[in-house]
Amino acid sequence: MSNFREKFIQDFITDNRWHFIVDGLLVTLRVTAMALVIGVVIGMVVGIIRCAHDQQTKNERRGLRGFVINLLNLVCKIYVTIIRGTPSLVQLLIMYFIILVSAKSKVMVATLTFGINSGAYVAEIFRGGIMAVDKGQMEAGRSLGLNYVQTMYRIVLPQAFKATLPALINELITLLKETSICGYIGLNELTRGGDIIRGTTFDAFLPLFGVAIIYLALVLIISSLASIMERRLRASDIR
Amino acid sequence: MISVKDLHKSFGDNQVLRGIDYEIEKGEKIVIIGASGSGKSTFLRCLNLLEIPTSGHIYIEGEEITAPDANVNRIRRKMGMVFQHFNLFNNLTIMDNITLAPTMLGLKKKEEAKEDALRLLTRVGLSDKADAYPAQLSGGQKQRIAIVRSLAMDPEVMLFDEPTSALDPEMVGEVLEVMKELAGAGMTMIVVTHEMGFAREVASKVLFVDEGIIKEEAPPSEFFSNPKNPRLQEFLSKVL
Repeated sequence: MSNFREKFIQDFITDNRWHFIVDGLLVTLRVTAMALVIGVVIGMVVGIIRCAHDQQTKNERRGLRGFVINLLNLVCKIYVTIIRGTPSLVQLLIMYFIILVSAKSKVMVATLTFGINSGAYVAEIFRGGIMAVDKGQMEAGRSLGLNYVQTMYRIVLPQAFKATLPALINELITLLKETSICGYIGLNELTRGGDIIRGTTFDAFLPLFGVAIIYLALVLIISSLASIMERRLRASDIR
Repeated sequence: MISVKDLHKSFGDNQVLRGIDYEIEKGEKIVIIGASGSGKSTFLRCLNLLEIPTSGHIYIEGEEITAPDANVNRIRRKMGMVFQHFNLFNNLTIMDNITLAPTMLGLKKKEEAKEDALRLLTRVGLSDKADAYPAQLSGGQKQRIAIVRSLAMDPEVMLFDEPTSALDPEMVGEVLEVMKELAGAGMTMIVVTHEMGFAREVASKVLFVDEGIIKEEAPPSEFFSNPKNPRLQEFLSKVL
């Protein structure tokens, strides 16, 4: 037991080493939160474009408007294919060493990478959710004189969002844990914080398990917040 | 009021409508019957452009809605549509279902829309359901609400696409009652249905659609007692 106490002091207290953990945690949370916002925005736009394309027949996609939709759809498809087809670590390295090579902030590089990465997955989640809403909902909205955007906004998207919430939470959890690869570009997030302590004290057990427990706690908080939200959204299902 | 000229609609190679010509006057109650797959629902859905006709022209009060620059959203405001599967907005309360379009389009103020909605709900006997969600209602109640939702837009014509086909038998009557009352109040109605009793009682004209064209058109008394088209005779012998 005294051994554990010694190790704990050595790993976290001496030289204020707990700073590596706390600072790392803050970086992890910042990158995750900002990447989530970027991901959801990109995902929503891409998802809606893909649906707007798929829900119209070839006949309706004529003329300039049709051309624009076809073009946007193609761009979105390529984006989703590339992002889903390559490892996020490779994307991070490419962003850091090639595309954003002159960027000063590693947090910014990581945030952008994960936001763009997450956007592709969120887009598919939204697309699935929108496609799953009964076609009759859109028809009813349109038959009352509402336009496509109005019907999407008030009728289809709220229902799609409710259906996709579990998958979105899943994506958020994945995102949170994926940020642990940021150490590869020398960004001191939570995992790297623990690893720095391991490298300094040569004790692997406490720093790495400590980091693992923090991730686990974060995920538990996210899931319990999600279930509260789901319960609220279910109000319209009560029979 | 509604004028249809040489209306064609194809889905890929499948020609569903093959040239429909028809004129509908204000206040008429047109009932369209026909076998499933005959094109009757497609015809109805073309009238408010839920289906885009492949060729042909549709005029509503002289305005061509099939013109490339027609303001479809504005035209649809004046045409209520009731669907087979109700299509109430599942995420909104009954009150919001009814008031959404009038308020969002700026036709009524929130309070005014609510008053109108309550008045209409009372008319169909469902004023106690204003705060319920669609999932809490029976099929017959949902369909009466769907009718009210359309009426809240003060339409000049109401389109009904098999409004009782998805209902349990004991709920058909309550929906038909509302439709009869509406007919009695002078609404222009176009109804696709299998309810021959309703056609006989309410219709000013009955149309028989088959193979994508109107094969017979007559007032109900003549339509049912003296059908001329052989396909119609065969159809009636099966359903009556």
